[in-house]
Amino acid sequence: MPPEGGIRTRGRALNASQSNTADGNLFWFVVPALILMGLIFLVPLGYVFYYSLLVDGRFSTDGFVTLLTSGLFYRVFITTFEISFLSTAVSVFLGYAVALHLSRLEPRRRIIYMGMVMLPFWTSILVKSYSFTLILGRRGIINSVLTYLFGDAARLELIYNRIGVVIGMTNYLIPFVVFPVLANLLAQDRNLRTAAEIMGARPLRIFMSITLPLSIPGIVAGALMCLVLSFGFFITPAILGGRRDVMLSNLIDLYTRETLNWNLAAATGVSLLLITALLMAVLSRLPGTRNAFT
Amino acid sequence: MHSRSAISVKPSRWLPGWLQAAFVPTWAWVAYGLMVVPCILVIPMSFAGEDQLVFPPRQFSLDLYRKFFGSVVWMEALKQSVVVASGTAVLATCIGVSAAYGFVRGRFFGRSVIGFLLFSPMLVPAVVLALGVYLYFARLGLTSTTLGIVFAHTVLTLPFVVVTSSSGMRQIDVNVELAATMMGASRFVILTRVVLPQVWPSVLASALLAFLISFDEAVLTWFIAGAGTATLPVVMFSSLKSEVSPIIAAAATLLMTTTMLLSLIIALLTKRASDE
Repeated sequence: MPPEGGIRTRGRALNASQSNTADGNLFWFVVPALILMGLIFLVPLGYVFYYSLLVDGRFSTDGFVTLLTSGLFYRVFITTFEISFLSTAVSVFLGYAVALHLSRLEPRRRIIYMGMVMLPFWTSILVKSYSFTLILGRRGIINSVLTYLFGDAARLELIYNRIGVVIGMTNYLIPFVVFPVLANLLAQDRNLRTAAEIMGARPLRIFMSITLPLSIPGIVAGALMCLVLSFGFFITPAILGGRRDVMLSNLIDLYTRETLNWNLAAATGVSLLLITALLMAVLSRLPGTRNAFT
Repeated sequence: MHSRSAISVKPSRWLPGWLQAAFVPTWAWVAYGLMVVPCILVIPMSFAGEDQLVFPPRQFSLDLYRKFFGSVVWMEALKQSVVVASGTAVLATCIGVSAAYGFVRGRFFGRSVIGFLLFSPMLVPAVVLALGVYLYFARLGLTSTTLGIVFAHTVLTLPFVVVTSSSGMRQIDVNVELAATMMGASRFVILTRVVLPQVWPSVLASALLAFLISFDEAVLTWFIAGAGTATLPVVMFSSLKSEVSPIIAAAATLLMTTTMLLSLIIALLTKRASDE
């Protein structure tokens, strides 16, 4: 296999040997994709903006005014923030431990352990949500063990509430913390730790003043990615949450299917899109995060 | 690691001995458990029979599978899932491989903007796209049609197809294509007769990936599928929202086995592609 650089040089040689029109011909290979993206991606997004400003057949921003003054939207908005930040915090905490554990394994064993991180990546969110109803339910595995050990009083309400949603979302989000943090930990200069050790620093001190501070860019990248993803969660809160755990996505579904208010559905969609875009913009400005995800 | 110095005789410890020995692994294993257990639990549960809420299962039975394959609703959903995922795989691979070739070899105006556009479905929350497609298809009369679902899934899978197939194309020798050009072959002939025979493992991998993502997709399909066109994930979602029927365990195991099998094949194909 020739190195990447070689291909690129030869690619340039190919371009130079041909006229611009021959090169321009390649544009036509992208056209079918462009047509599809235009018709089934850009136009639908346009429809969301269009409907968010369409009240009873005329152009108006009333939809957004209704949303901002509605108690329901306000509650759902706060709920979405709470659930997202809570899930992100728990995911960072657990994901960091996994990354730390993986970074200290030898490469051969690390690949095997990485399989456990990739598994939730490849498993349908519905399969996992169903499993959580079996694990966390009133007669689920955890409660069976608890009541067997401590009697009926030990039963915990773990599902159809905030706890269930956060557990379900954490399961999904942990890998998104592990990847950037692991990349960061593996890139850290070992000599810094060795130097600190020679100077007599205790292992905890080394962790607190070298490893942890250096890994902050990885943590921030992972946490922002988790936030972006969790704002759009739909399946998990619908299955594992209760009536008070409705998130923005579920509100859109409610407006679309139950109350048939397409204007409010679209206005909520635009709000969700803007929040996500804002977080994405912050994420893409961070130094060194591009490598972690692309 | 190339930065390792000669001074580092013993591996440096990050935490006090007892903490390192117990704390971090315990903490990590909680996370491993949280990731892995929900993914594999459905397998033993699907063989437990009706009394599925007892763990570990007391008996081995194929009752749930018998019920799954005997149920019209579930079988229709399974059939629909296979039809939609196959259609998506074919359409997304044709469009995506062509786009990947244009991107890898072409240098045209607006290339980076178009590239960003192709990847933007990954950045937009699924529900927002689902709502847009729902409103748009309602206007076109494409709601709850199989064709509409295939189109929507193709948009969703296109970024993955482009990435997977172009990674294969970057590794082949451009001089072979140059030779074909000099002998008068058109770009289309070069793609189908020169490039594809060389990169077929990554093209097959991207087709399977498209099948896989479509087979698993729930949010978009939930918005645009109707009673007759619901896929397996949609039927699972609606039955999980109402009553939790034990048959879901069998459906989930089938969904999971398909996913695992396909992702294993994809991993082997992409590994083969990068080894060559």
